[in-house]
Amino acid sequence: MSQPQPPTQEQLDAYIRTRLALAGVDLDLLPAQPDPVTGVPTRDQALRSLRSFVTGGPAAIAGWAPPVTGTPAAAYAQQAAPPLLYPSITEAWTGKADAR
Amino acid sequence: MSRAVNRRAFLAGSAAATGAVVGGAALAAPAAAHTPSSTGSTGPSGRKPYLPDIEVRDAARRDPTEATLAEAAVLMSRRKLTSTTLVEAYLDRIETYDSTYQAYAEVTGASALAAARKADRSGGRGGVLSGIPLCVKDNYYTRGVPTRCNSFIFEDFVPDHDATAVARLTAAGGIVLGKGQMGPLATTRATTPNGTVTTVNAWTPENPATDPGGSSTGPACAVAGRLASSSIGTQTGGSIVQPSNRQNLTGLKPTMGRVSAHGVIPLSYTRDHPGPLARDAMDAALMLAVMAGPDPNDPRTLGLPAVPDLVRAATPVVSRGRVRLRRATRIGVPADFLGSAAEVRGAFLGKLDSISGVTLVDITYPADWSLLTGSFNDARLSERTEPFRYWLREDPAKFGVSLLSWLQGLMLSGDEWITAQRAKNHLLREVLDGVMARCDVLLQTGPVPFDILGLPEIAFPVGFTSGIPAGVIIGGQPYEEDRLLEVAAAYQAVTDWHTRRPADPVSAPAGRTARRTAAVRPRITAEEAAAQSA
Repeated sequence: MSQPQPPTQEQLDAYIRTRLALAGVDLDLLPAQPDPVTGVPTRDQALRSLRSFVTGGPAAIAGWAPPVTGTPAAAYAQQAAPPLLYPSITEAWTGKADAR
Repeated sequence: MSRAVNRRAFLAGSAAATGAVVGGAALAAPAAAHTPSSTGSTGPSGRKPYLPDIEVRDAARRDPTEATLAEAAVLMSRRKLTSTTLVEAYLDRIETYDSTYQAYAEVTGASALAAARKADRSGGRGGVLSGIPLCVKDNYYTRGVPTRCNSFIFEDFVPDHDATAVARLTAAGGIVLGKGQMGPLATTRATTPNGTVTTVNAWTPENPATDPGGSSTGPACAVAGRLASSSIGTQTGGSIVQPSNRQNLTGLKPTMGRVSAHGVIPLSYTRDHPGPLARDAMDAALMLAVMAGPDPNDPRTLGLPAVPDLVRAATPVVSRGRVRLRRATRIGVPADFLGSAAEVRGAFLGKLDSISGVTLVDITYPADWSLLTGSFNDARLSERTEPFRYWLREDPAKFGVSLLSWLQGLMLSGDEWITAQRAKNHLLREVLDGVMARCDVLLQTGPVPFDILGLPEIAFPVGFTSGIPAGVIIGGQPYEEDRLLEVAAAYQAVTDWHTRRPADPVSAPAGRTARRTAAVRPRITAEEAAAQSA
């Protein structure tokens, strides 16, 4: 499987700004200099933080698949661990919590 | 599938339809949503909360602010204490010391006194919490009382109805003494929206650098500093159990759905757990017994196992003069449990092991534990962003020091979020079928795994390290809060850590209005807020 080149800082900044803009969030509403009254981060602080975030957390999550036996693993993994929004509640709604 | 389960599924489905309508109402809830069920755990099979038969300590007889909730209720039932006296005593302490503690965002003294006089006139017929003054975290809707969530976003918000949990507490006779300080939008230890530390740890009131635990910092400080009988907070990433551990309290984070989150300003829908921060296991049991139960306004509360008899669970069992567990219980001890606070935790394990009915079991985490409870913790961030998009678009500066994690939530894609929900399923099976197949409850080394899964946790004091309270957290099976209370109650019956109270501040400027002259408080940065966020 080929690996894409890691994005440059400029590409990351463009991605972040674009994503924010598509979501309707204007980074330029943040101050250019620290604002002790609100404590809100500056534009540079926000960009720096988001660059670090987008290159860390999402990739760790996207790299995971449920462990399965059998090949091709990607096919069998599709059948494992369907998403649960509320795991504990699901235990109750499926009668398992009562069985304990 | 059994008939009972079928009915549960039906109830859940019906409620989901109702909830969809209610959920679209944002701050101005429709009239139909204004009447939260105040019946608490008096549902089909739950037992109505009742006053325990307990002995009242001499210290509680001498000073009502020293009393546990249960002790105060018993004293009032015996006509040895009035609610008015109790409320006035707490208001006196608030007036004297809250300029230092800064536990309260809002004190509702006049209405609390009026409610106390009414409770006294009723002769205690108002419910199991009749006349008991409570601190309510400022992210719970309180009708007619500002609910700011310590954020610029809500600085002018005054709800037109109570959160279901608040409605149930007051319906049971509880009195709202005020709104507790909290981390901005329930993220960190309590600060102002710009990150200036407010609430201190009640055990080191002169040193604001001591971690008081967050984000239910004010409710914890109010109970620890004897500014309220008990309190309620919320937990998304440790925000009940950690301030409880830091301030020598017993905090109970119930299973997801056990307590309605209707009327609680959301942080992460799948992880927001309302629950009590209390002085001991019995107080936590009483509070949860009142708060718990189905609520048509929150479909997550429907179709769940009945609320067990929590008061009974929190009543220690003595057999032939010795305390024993109500049920034999295997307590899992993870390999890294002694990795911090080893001396205190070692002594705790020794004491616990001496209680009849306890079996300690060594536990090993699965190989992917740190990944699924570490990096995957980021998945919660999308949940906080979604209900706040309006303000992100309008003016992100309104998020103050807390903004970064709301922006981070926009950087997760839908497929990644789904992966995290699948990982929750996988982690649940690893915990319930793997780790907890060998134990009934599990000592925790951090709150996040059971927050991700919505499993219950109880925190309670086990000693001190350099004068600062040290506590432990025990996690349980879904909807088995009673088992957690049984363990904590037995431990508290053979120890007295939970009865210790901090000394009063020595340098308190007189009056709450003196807050401006109090010592300068440190600030946290936006980066620190994101890193420490619940």
